[in-house]
Formats: sequence, C-alpha cells, structure tokens
Amino acid sequence: MTGAPPKVKITYCAECGYEPQTLELARALMLEFGSRLSAIELIPWDSGAFEVSVDGQLVHSMRRDGGFPDNNMIKKAVRAHLTA
Amino acid sequence: MTIDRARFEQGLTYAAYKAQMTRNLDRVEENERRVQLRPEDIAAFRGLPRPLNVVVLAEDWCGDVIANLPVLGRLAQESGRLNLRVFLRDQNDDLMQRYLNQGKYKSIPVFVFFDESFRELGHWIERPASVTELRAERRRGIFAAHPEFGAPDAPVDQLPEDVRGRLQAELQKMRDDTASFANAEVVREIRDLVTRVAA
Repeated sequence: MTGAPPKVKITYCAECGYEPQTLELARALMLEFGSRLSAIELIPWDSGAFEVSVDGQLVHSMRRDGGFPDNNMIKKAVRAHLTA
Repeated sequence: MTIDRARFEQGLTYAAYKAQMTRNLDRVEENERRVQLRPEDIAAFRGLPRPLNVVVLAEDWCGDVIANLPVLGRLAQESGRLNLRVFLRDQNDDLMQRYLNQGKYKSIPVFVFFDESFRELGHWIERPASVTELRAERRRGIFAAHPEFGAPDAPVDQLPEDVRGRLQAELQKMRDDTASFANAEVVREIRDLVTRVAA
C-alpha cells in the first residue's frame, strides 16, 4: 500500500430497516481488512438510501445500481484502493 | 393464502402491536396526539353500515408506518367501526407477497379492508402520492436555497459532517411542517376508499 489507509462510508436509510445489511457489510469489511482501513463510517439517512463509498468514490448506490451490493464487490473495490 | 377469520385473529390488536414495539413508540404516540380528525371524517367512519376488518402489515422501524399507522389507529378508536389486526411484515411474507407495491416492493404500511365475511374491499399502501409529491417539491426547494447542500441526488457522505447535519435538520423540519397535510391526506384517502366500497 502506497497511500493512506482507505476510509469506507456506508449511508443507509434508517427508516427502511436496512440495519442488518449495513452491519453485515461493516462486519465483512472489518473481518477482511482489519486495521488496513482507516475507518468505517455508518451514516443513518432516509429516502431509501444505501450507498457505499471508498475514499470518496461511490462504489454502490441503491438508487443508481438497484438493490444492496454484493459484499464481495465492495471488498474488491477496497482492495483496489489498498493497492493503488 | 386467503384471509379468513382464523388467520385474521392471529394478528395483533393495535394495542398489542404497540406493546411489542422495540423502538419508536414515542414517535407513534406523538403522531397519534398530533392527528386532527374533523367531525365529518369521524362521522363518515361511524356511518359505515357495518364494522370493517382491517389487516395491517407493519414493522416498528419503518418511517411510513410510524407516520401513518397512528392515523388509522385514531380513526379506529374514534369511530369504533374499524377492527384492526397488525401483522409484522417480515414474519408474514405470504401476506406481504399479496400486496406488493407496484408488484415488487414490500412497502409498508399496508391496510387491507374486509367486510364481515372477509371479502376484500380494497387496500392502501405506504403513503399518499400527494405527500410524496409535496415532499419532493419541498426537498428540491431546500437544495435550491442551500447551495452548500450540493445536488439533491448526490451522495450525502460527500458533505462535511456539519453541513450534513444541517441538511438533516432541514429535511426533518420539512417533514414536520408537512405532517398535518400528510395526516389529512391519509384520512381523506382511507375515507374515500372505505366509504366507496362499504356502501
């Protein structure tokens, strides 16, 4: 890794019952990357949001991409930032 | 899966539903207090020729349930003509599958109205379209008045935390400001539905 550890932000609709998917993704990232991440930030929001960004780059949006992300796809995006 | 009296009675009464809630009971009870029912609305429900059985699909985390189920609860309480049974969406998928929003979304609340023989008379899902439209318009107005909030469809995680907090406060204020309109629209739509089909 050449840069700073990446930061992952998960914005989820807190009025939509998306907590399980949010926690599942956060857990998967914690177990996979540990201290190689600088932070995992969980942002409660509304309006059906479920968005994931890595270092400010949007890698999944429910509105844009539909549905919840494949956690493996998110891990792949994080790996790309780790090796950037 | 058809709904008959035996299945209906498996649902929770409104009081039992509230008693088993694990969160947001304070918001539900605040909304109950805030609903203003006009005498003519109460009279319309009291004037139903016979009581209706109402299946409700709900979950305690859902914002639209928190907002709209208390309206139905008050109508039932004030009129004495709506017999509610609440089913938790995620434990009753057979019921949910019958009332998907646009045939694919598990939107709640769902209110399904039945006569005394459990013939379905009609159903209502999530929130009035007029409320969605008004709030979308107000939301666009908030973003237009506050360039620091960025574009309405941009990811909010890009905003500085203090700006995001101000946006959240503005959106909450907008929802509060439109709550009376929203409640009145829920009453109007349900009243239209039940008085049309139960006559």
